[in-house]
Amino acid sequence: MEQALFISKVDNLKYFEDTDEFARLYFGMEFCERLIPDAADLKKVISFVNEKKIDFTLVTPYVTEDGLERVERLLGTLAETKPGSEVVFNDWGVFQVMDEKYPGLIPVLGRMLNKMKRGPRLLNVLDKIPEESVRYYRSPGITVPKVREFLLKNRITRVEFDNLLQGIDLERTGDEIKKTLYLPFAYITTTRLCLTALCDRPDKVKEVGITPCGHECQRYTFYLKNPIMITNLIRKGNTIFFCNEDIPDNLNMFDRVVIAPEIPI
Amino acid sequence: MKILSPLDSKEEVKELIQAGADEFFCGLLEETWHRKYPVISINRRPAGKGHFRTFADLKEAVSMAKEHNAPVYFTVNEHYYIDEQYDLVLDYVKKAVDAGVSGIILADYGLLTVLKEMNLSVKLQVGTGGTVFNSQSARFYQRMGASSVTFPRHLTIDEIRKIVENSPEIEFCVFIINSRCVNVDGFCTFEHGLSDQSCFPLYRNACMLPYHISLSPQVSAEERDMGDIIREHRFLERQHIWETVHVDDHPCGACALYEFREIRINGVKIVGRGNTLERKVKDIQFLRTLIDRLERDNLSMIDFRKSARELYQNTYSRPCRMHMCYYPEVMEMPA
Repeated sequence: MEQALFISKVDNLKYFEDTDEFARLYFGMEFCERLIPDAADLKKVISFVNEKKIDFTLVTPYVTEDGLERVERLLGTLAETKPGSEVVFNDWGVFQVMDEKYPGLIPVLGRMLNKMKRGPRLLNVLDKIPEESVRYYRSPGITVPKVREFLLKNRITRVEFDNLLQGIDLERTGDEIKKTLYLPFAYITTTRLCLTALCDRPDKVKEVGITPCGHECQRYTFYLKNPIMITNLIRKGNTIFFCNEDIPDNLNMFDRVVIAPEIPI
Repeated sequence: MKILSPLDSKEEVKELIQAGADEFFCGLLEETWHRKYPVISINRRPAGKGHFRTFADLKEAVSMAKEHNAPVYFTVNEHYYIDEQYDLVLDYVKKAVDAGVSGIILADYGLLTVLKEMNLSVKLQVGTGGTVFNSQSARFYQRMGASSVTFPRHLTIDEIRKIVENSPEIEFCVFIINSRCVNVDGFCTFEHGLSDQSCFPLYRNACMLPYHISLSPQVSAEERDMGDIIREHRFLERQHIWETVHVDDHPCGACALYEFREIRINGVKIVGRGNTLERKVKDIQFLRTLIDRLERDNLSMIDFRKSARELYQNTYSRPCRMHMCYYPEVMEMPA
């Protein structure tokens, strides 16, 4: 089982100090194009992984036209400086660019495009619904042979998974596609109407939109509690997560675990 | 620029067309699905209202709409399906095609792959669940066989403009009124409608539930003074905004019709499967009035905005509010 470390900031390379348990580094951003690292940061990280002789995966978010330009610059840098690296895409537009321009990079289907339901409320109904419904909530889209065929045809041989509270059933997903499990933070939902943006400005309390921000997400984390939710929700930046540190019984169905020491925002 | 209206029954067709609808979208729920998946939707609408119940009714509705040159699009737009659901899903699609629908609205790349291979005689349209935030994503779906895309709710007018300019070979639809989701639909994995209204915490959309919210600043307690703590308490207020309003309290993007007409948007979508006929008619008439004014009166942007805001307030008895505005950047422009 390969273990990887996931960081979204160069400073967090510190988590690599004094440990040799990670064979791979994930670096990048899934949820907000304003936090896409620049090429200089990417180069620093690539130097680090080269020095440590470990493998590398760049993580990319969903993007507008402007964000796509920034991702393209990173892909160019990566293809030049670390060919053969993986790129986790969470936007089919990023995949399209990779497919046409960067055949030397390896596409990985990100956890945002693996659309299994994550809302913790589900656990309240699992024992009250038909077994077909329970199987749906525990099974991914790659149970469909045509879906696997499509992915393989497009050189996508790995799919990323969150550690779902309801469990993940990977039977009937075949062996050709490798599976990664993210620990311990699972994303539930994301928005561009970010409530963290300018959250410490009293004059902006009533303003919600795709507005400028001062990267307040780097200073504040909000915890949301409601009794119907089995676990606390965590709002970090524009995204809501939960934390699940329980290792699933079928861990052996995954061939890689990605550990985020901090919420990757 | 066509008005895409929700349609829930054959009885609604005539009145909605008279109100000004150009095309329709709808869903259907049969017992065969509901028995196995009572809280899992086949089409992004929970069980209950908002569905046709039989394909015979759908066929009649399609036939009535076609008499007025109004196409009907059929939703099979859940974010993903698993293998054992495919027989049912494909059965729905085949029966809908037999009923004469003009297209299938979907969100799942897997289903799109399968339907493309089936060479159906209808259009394949990617709904908002396809999360098309850029032109390369639109190209991806076009390559997969899609002829049109509905944008996510979370794009600015300028961002939409850039995508459309860079995507000359595909049609686009935008949201224009009702249900301004707080989160990006296609990336939201909360499940709505886990119960009927008898259990409010399972019924209510998770984004609008009341939460106890606390804050963890990235600074130590020693670095914060009392003023910081009071300020932090005040800005927690904003974190509660979605529990103090309802996302369906007549959100609207009609001011942006001016730009959407300029930039080649093909359709404007009214959310509202399950809404009353009266509300559907009101929404269509509101938009039809504005689109007609745009096409007839050669209004300046300022005059159009003024006219749209007045009509909104008169129609819905509400002022324009930023959190209920689909394209709030228009609120910073004069009107």
